[in-house]
Amino acid sequence: MLNAAENWMTSTWINHVVLGYAWTWPTLETLHFLGLSLLMGTLIIMDLRLIGFQRIIPLTAVHSLMPVAIFAFSINLITGLGFIFGDPRLYSGNWSFWAKMILVLLAGLNFVVYYFAVEPKLKKLEPMAATPAIAKAVGVASLLFWSGVLSFGRLLPYLGTGGG
Amino acid sequence: MWLEETGLADWVRSSPAGYPLMITLHAFGMAIMVGLALALDMRLLGWFSGMPYAALQRFLGVAWIGFGINFISGSALFTTQSASKYVFQPGINGLEFNWVFMGKMTLVFAGAIMAAILQTTVNRDSATWPPTSVPAKVKFMAALSIVFWLVAITLGRLTAYLGA
Repeated sequence: MLNAAENWMTSTWINHVVLGYAWTWPTLETLHFLGLSLLMGTLIIMDLRLIGFQRIIPLTAVHSLMPVAIFAFSINLITGLGFIFGDPRLYSGNWSFWAKMILVLLAGLNFVVYYFAVEPKLKKLEPMAATPAIAKAVGVASLLFWSGVLSFGRLLPYLGTGGG
Repeated sequence: MWLEETGLADWVRSSPAGYPLMITLHAFGMAIMVGLALALDMRLLGWFSGMPYAALQRFLGVAWIGFGINFISGSALFTTQSASKYVFQPGINGLEFNWVFMGKMTLVFAGAIMAAILQTTVNRDSATWPPTSVPAKVKFMAALSIVFWLVAITLGRLTAYLGA
């Protein structure tokens, strides 16, 4: 099944755009780095407030950073898919890539918990209030998961051996 | 060059962990410094107006930790091929001045100086600014800061493609 997916990816126009021009891959990488910087920057602010630091930030302002974080993640999702479609075999056989993907998934689940279980609670609190335990847990988990994503992503060429 | 002969250079260059460790730390430092600087810049340009200026100014304190990480990891990476890749790189006519890397360094320091100026300005004056508008001069500096970091990351990424 993995093989069929790889063959399909390499037959698409995306593959041709990514591999067909010398500048595509470096451009995608640059955007991926910009996206990760913006994502980490906004996450540090939101998560540290959720954990309980910097209570001068109103809880509603935490939520106002979320669109920026989602935008940054979208940049990385799109450019990341570009890499995978460009050279699927480089990633499919690399355990570091799968570790990264599992952590992205866990970070996503953590966001779902934030959205449905934490954010409604925060709305009922005073702007400068201390945060409940579940908010602190979600903040810590987010920083850990995304740090793992960054680490396994950056170490990908050194840790696993891709099929490429 | 003597830097390339040091024990540190040798360890980063040839141990299994040295180079991957430094390159990963460098990605973390970048994300922290650039991400938090961009967040302040965007706030000064009018985004997420519920976020107090003072809070983002405090987060620049965290950003400097990222800058420190990158100064150290970047210096370690620099020792490995300081003259043979970074300051100069192999070209058609022997070693040529590396405009890409030296340009990156110039912009990194320009970005850092701008961050320091913005941090000082916000710290001193932001109490008198309305939440939705800052002086045009400050907006201009914030926009310049974004440009500095975007170009620095672009040239930094391109450095990986040089002198290979």
